[in-house]
Formats: sequence, C-alpha cells, structure tokens
Amino acid sequence: MANYFNTLPLREKLNQLGVCDFMDSSEFLDGVNALKGKKLVIVGCGAQGLNQGLNLRDSGLDVSYTLRKEAIEGKRDSWKNATENNFTVGTYEELIPNADVVINLTPDKQHTAVVKSIMPLMKEGATLSYSHGFNIVEEGMQIRKDLTVIMVAPKCPGSEVRAEYVRGFGVPTLIAVHPENDPQGKGLAQAKAYAVGTGGHRAGVLKSSFVAEVKSDLMGEQTILCGLLQTGSILSFDKMVEKGIDAGYASKLVQYGVEVITEALKQGGITAMMDRLSNPAKIKAFEISEELKDIMRPLFQKHQDDIMSGEFSRIMMEDWANGDQNLLAWRAETGETAFEKTPAGDVKINEQEYFDNYTLMVAFVRAGVELAFETMVQAGIKPESAYYESLHETPLIANTIARKKLFEMNRVISDTAEYGCYLFDQACKPLLGDFMKKVTTDLVGKNFNEGKDAGVDNRTLIAVNDAIRTHQVEQVGAVLRKAMTAMKTIKTA
Amino acid sequence: MKNLNNEQSHNNSLSFGEGWGEAFVSISTLNLKYQHKLVLKDLHWTILKGENWLLSGISGSGKTALAKAIVGLQSVSGEVKINFNTESLLPAKALFVESWYQFKNVEGVANFYYQQRYTSVQAKETLTVNAELMSYGKENNLAFADAEPILKALGFSALKNSQLIELSSGEHKKLQLVKALWLKPQLLIIDQPYTGLDAASRKHLNVLLDDVSAEGVQLILICNDAELPFCINRFATIEAGELVEMNSREIASALPEKYEREIPDFLKESPVYSSNNIVKMVDVNISYGEKQVLNNINWEVKAGEKWLLQGPNGSGKSTLLSLINGDHPQSYANTLYLFGNKRGSGESIWDIKQHIGLISPEFHWYFDASSTVWESIASGFYDTVGLFQHLPFSKSAQVDELVAYFGLTENKNELLSALPLGKQRMVLLARTIIKNPELLILDEPCQGLDLQQTQHFNQLVDELCSNGMTLIYVGHFESLLPNCLEKRIVLENGKVKVIERILEKNSIIEKENYSTLVEQ
Ligand SMILES: NC(=O)c1ccc[n+]([C@@H]2O[C@H](COP(=O)([O-])OP(=O)(O)OC[C@H]3O[C@@H](n4cnc5c(N)ncnc54)[C@H](OP(=O)(O)O)[C@@H]3O)[C@@H](O)[C@H]2O)c1
Ligand SMILES: [Mg+2]
Repeated sequence: MANYFNTLPLREKLNQLGVCDFMDSSEFLDGVNALKGKKLVIVGCGAQGLNQGLNLRDSGLDVSYTLRKEAIEGKRDSWKNATENNFTVGTYEELIPNADVVINLTPDKQHTAVVKSIMPLMKEGATLSYSHGFNIVEEGMQIRKDLTVIMVAPKCPGSEVRAEYVRGFGVPTLIAVHPENDPQGKGLAQAKAYAVGTGGHRAGVLKSSFVAEVKSDLMGEQTILCGLLQTGSILSFDKMVEKGIDAGYASKLVQYGVEVITEALKQGGITAMMDRLSNPAKIKAFEISEELKDIMRPLFQKHQDDIMSGEFSRIMMEDWANGDQNLLAWRAETGETAFEKTPAGDVKINEQEYFDNYTLMVAFVRAGVELAFETMVQAGIKPESAYYESLHETPLIANTIARKKLFEMNRVISDTAEYGCYLFDQACKPLLGDFMKKVTTDLVGKNFNEGKDAGVDNRTLIAVNDAIRTHQVEQVGAVLRKAMTAMKTIKTA
Repeated sequence: MKNLNNEQSHNNSLSFGEGWGEAFVSISTLNLKYQHKLVLKDLHWTILKGENWLLSGISGSGKTALAKAIVGLQSVSGEVKINFNTESLLPAKALFVESWYQFKNVEGVANFYYQQRYTSVQAKETLTVNAELMSYGKENNLAFADAEPILKALGFSALKNSQLIELSSGEHKKLQLVKALWLKPQLLIIDQPYTGLDAASRKHLNVLLDDVSAEGVQLILICNDAELPFCINRFATIEAGELVEMNSREIASALPEKYEREIPDFLKESPVYSSNNIVKMVDVNISYGEKQVLNNINWEVKAGEKWLLQGPNGSGKSTLLSLINGDHPQSYANTLYLFGNKRGSGESIWDIKQHIGLISPEFHWYFDASSTVWESIASGFYDTVGLFQHLPFSKSAQVDELVAYFGLTENKNELLSALPLGKQRMVLLARTIIKNPELLILDEPCQGLDLQQTQHFNQLVDELCSNGMTLIYVGHFESLLPNCLEKRIVLENGKVKVIERILEKNSIIEKENYSTLVEQ
C-alpha cells in the first residue's frame, strides 16, 4: 500500500492539509438524527471503544461490539467490558454484515489487519469510522468504493470522554470525511451526529481532514508534547544533581513542575504561563526561549519534513516489522534515567515555587509550543489544527508525567507517539549540549529572584509582553479556549 | 446552660480510673475568622481525663472548625494542648474522622463521576477495601486480626473485595469508622458518625464506641443525634463562637417553628405529565459478575405518588434509583419503562433526566466543586454537573428567586467547595427543584443539615408535592421525613421485602423498629 498523502498532487495535498473549520453550535441542531435507528458496531472495546460506546448508547443510538474470536472465547477484558455493561457482543461474521456503521477502535498498529478482515463482510453502502487517520493516510489503506469513511477523534483519553459526557459536557473533537470515500455524500452528517452522540459538540468540534489530523497529530506528539517534555525533564534533573541540589527535591520539582506550569497554559495560554513569573524572570525566560527556538528549529523542521514525506512512518513501520527493536531499546533506556530512578523527595513545594525555581521549564514550554505551532503552520496546517496539537494537549501530557514520570507518559500515549518521542529525544539532547553548559541553578533548582534586583527596563518588558501576546498561537487560542471554558475543571489523563 | 469559660464541677455517674481530674485537652483563647466573620471567639474548653463529649448545634456554628483546630488541621490563633498519656498502650494521637470521605485512584488522582460505580470496567481504577485496609494497617503497625471483629460488627466483611469506587456513601463512612476504631487513638473526634448508616449499624457503632472508650480512647462526637453511646458524659454546643455546656442529652428536642417564607410562584405550578406511568419495572435484575445487586424487582410508580424507599446499607436502594435516572448501563437489558417509554427505545439519558430532580450523597460528593453557588443551582435546568451555558432571562430570574428563598443570596458568587457541608447541601437541594420537575428523587437529602434545616426542607417538599409532584424519598431517620409520604417500598439484599401503603407517619415508625429487630 502506498502512502496516501504521497499519491496526491501538490494542490490536493495543500487542499487537504488546509481543511479546518471550527464549527458553530448551530451545525449540530439535528442532534444524533443522522445515526438514529442505524446499527453501530464497534470493533474493539478498549479505552476509546468502551467509553465512546457508552456515550453513543446513552445518546439513544443502537450500539454493539464485535471482537476477535480469541477475545470472545478467552473472555478477555474487552469481552467483559462489553458484556457486563449489557452490550451485545458478537464475532465479525455475526455483526458486521448487518452494521450500518462500523467503528474501528482497535490499536493503530492493528488497523491494516483488522480492516482487511472486516471490509469484505461490510454491507453495500455502509460507513467505516476511525478515531485516528494513520491507517488511511500513512498506510494508504484502500477502502471499497461503496463505503463511506469518516473520522471522529476526541482529543482526550477515553476515560475523559466518558467523565465529561456524564457531567453534561464533552471533550474537543476533530471530525473528517475521507474525500475518496463519500459516495453518497452522507459522511459529514454522520460524523456530526457521532460527535453529538459522544458529547463532543459541547466542547468544540473542528472539521478537519484525515491528512490534517494525522500530520498535525504526529508533529505535536513527537516534538512539544512528548519529545520536548521528556528531553527538558531529563536535562533539568541532571543539571540540578550536577550542581549539588538535593536529588529528591530535583525529582519532585521536575515530576510535578511541568503539570503546575502548564496548568496556567490551559487557562490562559503562553501569556498566563509567563505572567506567573516575576518581571526579571519573565524577561530571562523569554530570552532563553528565543535561544532555544533558534537551536531547535532545524530539528522541529526535520520532524515535520519526515512526517510530511512519509519517512517517519516508513522507519517506524520498519521497526514494527522488526519486532519493535528500537522502540523497546529506547523504552528501556528511558526507564533507566536518573530522573526516573530517583523518587520524589518528601518536601513541600508550593505552587508559586514551581514557577520561580523552574524558570527553565517555562522557557522550554514556550519555545516548544511556539516552534511546533509555527512549523506546522508553515507546512500548510491551519492554525486551529496546530493549536489543538500543540498548546491544547501539552497540559494533558504533563499530567501523565506528574503521575508517574516519563515511563507513565510513554505507557499512556500511543506506540506511534512513543516512537516519535524517543526519536526526538535522542536527537535533541546532544543538540542542547552547549546550551545546557551555561545553565545555572537560578534557572533550575533555586529561586530565580533570589539576590537579584527586581527592577526591569520598561521598554524591554513592553517588547517582551508584546511578543508573547501577539503570537498567533495566543490569538487563535483565545478564541478556541472560549469555546471550552467549561473545560476548566477537567482533570485529565 | 452554663458558660464553660469558668471552671466548674459536674455530676457524673461513671467511675473514673487513674488520672481522673487531670486535663487531657486544654484549649484557651481560640479565635478563628472566616471571611470577616468571627467563627470562634476566645473559645475555652477543658477536657478532663475520662470525659467523652458530644458537640452539637446548628449547621455552620463552627463545630468542624473547632475539631480541626484541635488536631491541627485548621490554623487558628490561641492555644491547644493535648496531654497524651505516655504510659498508655494506645497511640498518642488525636484523630479526626471527617464527615466527608476521600479516596484516590491507583494513580493518585481523583476525577470520578457519581455514575462510575455502576459501570463495569476491567481495568481497576481504585484499590480494593482489603488493599486499603492492608496499607492502613501497615502504616500504623496494626494487626489485621484486630480489624476483623470491627468489620464484622459493622457488616463490612462482605465488602472486602469491593473497589473503593464501588462503595456507597454509607459504606465509605463505615470504612472510615473501621480505620478509626482499629487504630484506637487516645483522642478520637468523629464528625457526623451516623450519617448514611442504617438503624442496625448505628446501634452496633454505639457498642463499638463504648468498647474503645472502656479501653481508654476519649471521644468527641459531633452530631445532633439522640441515640448515643452510653459513655458520652458531657454535652456542649457552640454559640456565638463560644463553647456552651449543656446539662444533658435533651438537646435538639425543641421543634423549630414553621418556615413562613412563601415559595416562589414558578414552583407552585403543577407538573404536566406526558404519561401517568412514571416508572414500571418488570423482573429487573442487576449484577456485577457473580454478585447480584437487584433481584427480580417489580415496582410501579404512578404520577403524583409519594414513595418512601428504605432498606439497610447495601440493600440496593441507590442502584434502583440509578435505573430511574438513566445512570445505569445495565438498564438497557432490563424491562424498564420510564415516563411511559420503554428504556432503550431510542431515548437519550438527557431525555430522561429532563423529567427528574435528583440528589443523593454520592451526587453531592462528586459534584463540581469549582462551580459557584449560583451556577450550581442553575445547572439543574440542564441536568449537568457544572454550568456550561448562558441562561435565558426568565430562567436566570428564577435562579435568583430560589437563591433568595434558600437564604443563599450573600453566598451566591462563592465557590460551592468553600461553604460548609450543610450549606453545600442546601445549594444542591435548590438545584434539585429549580426546574419544578415531574419526579423528585431525594436520596437522603438532609444528610449534613441540622434539625431546623431538615424540618424546613421537608416542609418545602410537602408544599411542592401538594401540587402534584411525584416523589421518591430515601431516609433512614424515621422521625425526619416529610408528611406527604403515602407508600413505602423496602429492599433487603436486593429484593423487594415490602410494598405497602403508609397510613400514618407513626405507624411506620413502629414497623421500622419491628423490622430492625428482625434484621438482627
Ligand atoms: N487513547 C487515546 O487517548 C486516543 C485518543 C484519540 C483517539 N484514539 C484512537 O482510538 C483508537 C483505539 O485506541 P485505544 O487507545 O482505545 O486502544 P486500546 O485501549 O488499546 O483498545 C484496543 C481494543 O482493540 C482490541 N484489539 C487489539 N488488537 C486487535 C486485533 N488485532 N483485532 C481486533 N481487535 C483488537 C482490544 O481487544 P482484545 O485485545 O481483547 O481483542 C481492545 O479492546 C486508535 O485508533 C487510537 O489512535 C486514542
Ligand atoms: Mg494526539
């Protein structure tokens, strides 16, 4: 199978990358009607499968599950999840032929095999749905021409998809219709109804394309979300230990700091995060983040280029075929870092201290978010898509680090994200070698303001504030966050 | 009543051991301000060796704050000295058991929702009761064998393999009590020891409290209940920030006067029913794996009926109600009609909830703590936990009216979580009725309220119900029920034990006592 994106002429590539429309709530007035009375069959009952299915059924839709034979016979967890919640469960042969919509929620690595076995059983004119576009875009999976192919991708873990729905809200969601597979023109109406069924329409729905979703998702997760948070955490910890800061304190500062710092991001973007610093610290963080952006820009660009050309998917799938050799080696290496091995100390660090003593991480986050956003937009991805895959998701991932450090983060994210994260981390650490040599404990480990004059030059401060506030990620973010204000209380991932 | 600021003598029929007469806890000039309001004012309190106190009084008087100050959980000005007995075998600790329970998932965070315990998920999110007790025992060097009799006495043994998320509020309360009674700290303060406990458990708890007291644990119980352990020998309340001793246990017997405030007009309208059949259950069964929680339930609720639902802790009451409120995933495989429609015939859970106003201890516990008072009440129009939309003018005016009716105007922009529990509960009760629903489901609505608040709320329920509203009310405390109740369903071990007509309020009380005797 050929990479779908690479088969497109440039004009069409740009076309699809540029699909991005933040939908007005009036677009959802028809509710779930487009799917009412239709048979929805979900393949797989894992994190997304179970929770999306519970929501769709509670929205009045007819939902059942199909699992591979081994799962049914072995009464695996996926079988128990479905049957104990009173869903009908059957084999592919039993359920797929009558399904109006087949929803594929198996792990991405399995998609080619799964789709190959269910497609021949699907009835004429049915719909196949995904929550991620990797299989269609990167693996170039060809779907029968009579079938409609849609995507409904919640931008949160499955447990949040459920928790927010029962509160009466939802999580932000991307929807798309694959232009090669919309023979009856019903794809968009069905995708919208699906988003209503999972509650996504209450938190903001972005009309996207398979291509835009995949290319931006991969870029975000490799660079700012997982890659840079990992690199930044490891380097910060090592620096503190090198400078004689107590290892338990360092471990705690790094483990929880990134969550506290990015909480401000969630509420008020880069501006709010930077405003938590004193004026001198803000100016310093701004300066070093500019430096970091210059150092890391070529690496971000390389990742974006490899994602666009399909090179990234190629080497990753090669590694899958190779029994995950690199992935497993890098995973083991991450598990053996000093940060991972040092338990957080029994010290109290108050909220403001996380900002004052960890200015370096604030700089990393600003540099990473802005660079990822800028690089995506330069590559033809629209700002709204770029926002979701950079700034919006950063606090969600930071949360997983706070829970159990990097191992936990890499366990929760997809294999694709994990592979990309290690790839970035391996390249980024040496790149920052010279930069890190200059870093002292006022940036990481001790209060930046200690022993310093609190005064700043007016013009410098105004210029710095201006640069932060007028960045495009801030302007787009302000609009999108407004739609999600009720997300304020989400405790994620 | 006498003011305790002066040293005084008192009669006591109990015999005291060694050390009698010595001060165990000495509190002097305690002051606490909360938002400009003085909660505790130069408070003095001396607890002598051998004394066990009851601290009662109205909601918001500062009882909880005082207790927290004693154990160091609340910063105050003034002095608290605890003179632990160094010779005692009991741990030299002052333990405060909160009226609220808290637990985390295995990863250390807690983002739960109240329906979560009804959903089966194989990946276990929370610890089991057993694992929780094991780690508590280890942390405090306790022998597991010592916990067994306590578990047994409180009817908790069968829950050892349950996950924390699966426990009801009454069961969480028991878990807290088990831990405290197992630890036997020299000073044990329990805030609302009886909330959520059924009649039998309350009796057993009193026996257990008398036992630990005999072993040397000194108690402070914070509640307004009348049936106390025998060991309680001193009584006090907080008035205007000062501790006031009372003579005996005739504490809360004075009935408050009738609430004279007129209910808002929009709550006087009779509900419009789309069907005369509110609930119909035919042979309903609910189970988790091997464990059957509801067993062949047949029950019908007609429009305008007022039901009392009763049963011991763990008998299936909350599960039964979750079926009606559209909160139970297993509804879809049962024969259940709600508001005239078969469940699972294309309706959404929001279609169902639109007819219902619901409150339960679990609902309160998992409610969005970051909402303001006003937003919490307004969210009742949309059945959401937290407010996600702007209210049209007429609805927002109704919220204002109800806020005023409940006397919450000065709190309306405060965060719900910043209020004392009793006040929070009042807010959620207002939320429950804001849309003047066809069906009110009140699962222990008055937990955490003082006697007067309870009487007033029940009076409001009577008024609302006189306009034709349908009611299902869960209450353990027979004396504190609304008058309008006319039918009763009793569950036991997941089965319907009794369905009957209630003739007079007094006749229930007799029967309830009778069935309590049978239970034992
Ligand atoms: N997790 C997220 O945060 C997130 C967010 C948005 C979108 N998504 C997307 O949602 C989809 C599902 O992800 P997930 O995280 O929910 O996966 P998951 O939790 O790993 O669940 C996978 C399910 O698929 C089944 N399965 C595994 N291999 C299979 C095979 N070869 N054939 C048939 N069934 C198989 C598993 O059941 P058995 O092993 O018992 O058969 C299990 O029920 C992916 O496309 C992912 O990109 C995920
Ligand atoms: Mg992603």
